[in-house]
Amino acid sequence: MLPVERVIGEEGLAATAGGLKLAMRLPWYRSLPFSVVEVGPLSIDGEAVDLSDALIEYNGEQWPLSQNGEKVDTFWFIRDSAFLVLPSLKADAGSAHEVSLNLFISPPYIPGMRRTNPQTSTLIVEAA
Amino acid sequence: MTTTATGPQTGVTLYSFTNEFLTRQFELDTLMAEVAKRGLGPNIEIIGFQNFREFPDVSDRFADEFKQMLADTGLNPVSCAINSDRFLKPGAQPIEDAALVEYHKRQLRSAKKLGFSLVRYQFALPVHLLPEIAPYAEELDIRMGVEVHAPMWAGHPAVQAYGEMYDKLNTPYLGWIPDFGGTASRIPESMLDAARAKGAKEDLLDKLKEVWLEDGMSHEKAGRLREWAAPKGHSPLEIQAACLAFFILSNHDPKSWAALVDRTIHIHGKFYGVSEDLVEEAIDYDTILPLFKDGGFTGTMVSEWEGHAYDMRDAFEQVRRHQAMARRIWGS
Repeated sequence: MLPVERVIGEEGLAATAGGLKLAMRLPWYRSLPFSVVEVGPLSIDGEAVDLSDALIEYNGEQWPLSQNGEKVDTFWFIRDSAFLVLPSLKADAGSAHEVSLNLFISPPYIPGMRRTNPQTSTLIVEAA
Repeated sequence: MTTTATGPQTGVTLYSFTNEFLTRQFELDTLMAEVAKRGLGPNIEIIGFQNFREFPDVSDRFADEFKQMLADTGLNPVSCAINSDRFLKPGAQPIEDAALVEYHKRQLRSAKKLGFSLVRYQFALPVHLLPEIAPYAEELDIRMGVEVHAPMWAGHPAVQAYGEMYDKLNTPYLGWIPDFGGTASRIPESMLDAARAKGAKEDLLDKLKEVWLEDGMSHEKAGRLREWAAPKGHSPLEIQAACLAFFILSNHDPKSWAALVDRTIHIHGKFYGVSEDLVEEAIDYDTILPLFKDGGFTGTMVSEWEGHAYDMRDAFEQVRRHQAMARRIWGS
C-alpha cells in the first residue's frame, strides 16, 4: 500500500481505560484540516462499528467525531497519527482483530475531488 | 551557490520525496541533508503543509531552527508552496473572501519568516481577491506565483483572467509558475501500469485515454469516466486509480508555454519517469525547456517527481536523472 493511501497508523489498536483506540494516518501528501476528512465506515472482525459516540484524539486534544466537520483550523500534520477512540468497545490485550477502515478526503483546493481509502489489517491489541 | 543567474537554474522540491517523508525515513533536517549530500540542490521548494508541522503559522523558534538547517546544508530556500484552501467544508459553500485573504496572509508571513523568496499559490483563489493580497506581498517583499497546473494551461480562461488582472495590477510581485503536467503528451505508462496493478481492466484504461483528451475540468472528466465505468462493474478503487490522471495531467500544446515565459518566476518541472537515456515518459521536455531559456528565464526549475502518487520508485534517482536531462537540454 502506498504511503499516500494508507489510513491505519503504525501504532495500531490499543485497549485503554477510555475504550479501544485506533491509530489513523492521513491518506494524502500534505496536512489537511480535519474538516475535510470523513472517518468511517469502520468494521472490526467483519462487524460494522457504530461511530456515534466515537472521538478523535490528536495532539493532546479530543473532540466528538460528529464535530469533525467543524474543525477547519485544526490541521492534521501529515507525519502524525490521529486516534479514533471508541468508548463502547473493549478488547483483550494481545488478541488479534481484523480492522477495516475507510477515510474519505476532499482536498480543499481541488473542487470536486473526494477520495476513498479503504484499508484492512489484522492488528494485535496493545495494552495502553 | 549561484548569485548571478545567467540562465535557468535547477533545483528540487521536497515533494518529490513524499514517500520517504511520509514513511518517516527522514525528518526535515535529515531529508535536507540528504538532498544536499546528493548534490540535488542548492535551490529547493518546500510545501508548507507537507514539511512544516506548524504551518500555516510558524513560530520564531521554528524559523530559527529552519534557518540553522539551511546554514548546515547550504540549501537555498527559493519557493514555499502555499495552499488556497477555499473549500474547507465539503459539500458546503466556499469560505468567505475575507477569511481566504487572511489565510493567504498567514502563509505569506510564514514563508517570509522562513526566508523564502517566493510562494506558489493556486487558482482556487478567486482572481478578484488579488488586489487585496498583492499589496501585502509587496509590503512583505515576497513574490507570488500562481501555479498553472493541469487542467489549466496558457490558453485556459482562468489563466487569461489572471493575466488580465496581472496587467492591471502591473507589479513584479505577481507571476506564473508553470507546471508541465498541463501539457503532457500522453498518460505515463508507469501510471497506467499502477492502475493495472490495482486491477483496472484494459477497457477502462482505453476509455480513460479517450476521456482524458476531451475538454473539461478534472472532476467533470472523472464524473464522465465514473458514469461509463460503474455500470460495467469496474470497482470504485479501479476507477479512482484511473481518474488520478485527470487531476494531475492534461493534454495541451507544449509550445503554448511561450505565452507565459515573460511573467514566469519559477517552474515546477513535473515528471513521472526519466529513463536512463534522459527522456521523460509523458512530457516533452525537449520542446518545452528551450522556450524558457530562449525567453530569458533565469529563475529556478525545481524537479517535481510525482510518481509517488502511484508507485514507490527511488525518488532520489529520478530527480538526479531529471536534473541531468535539464542540463542536457539547456546545455549548462
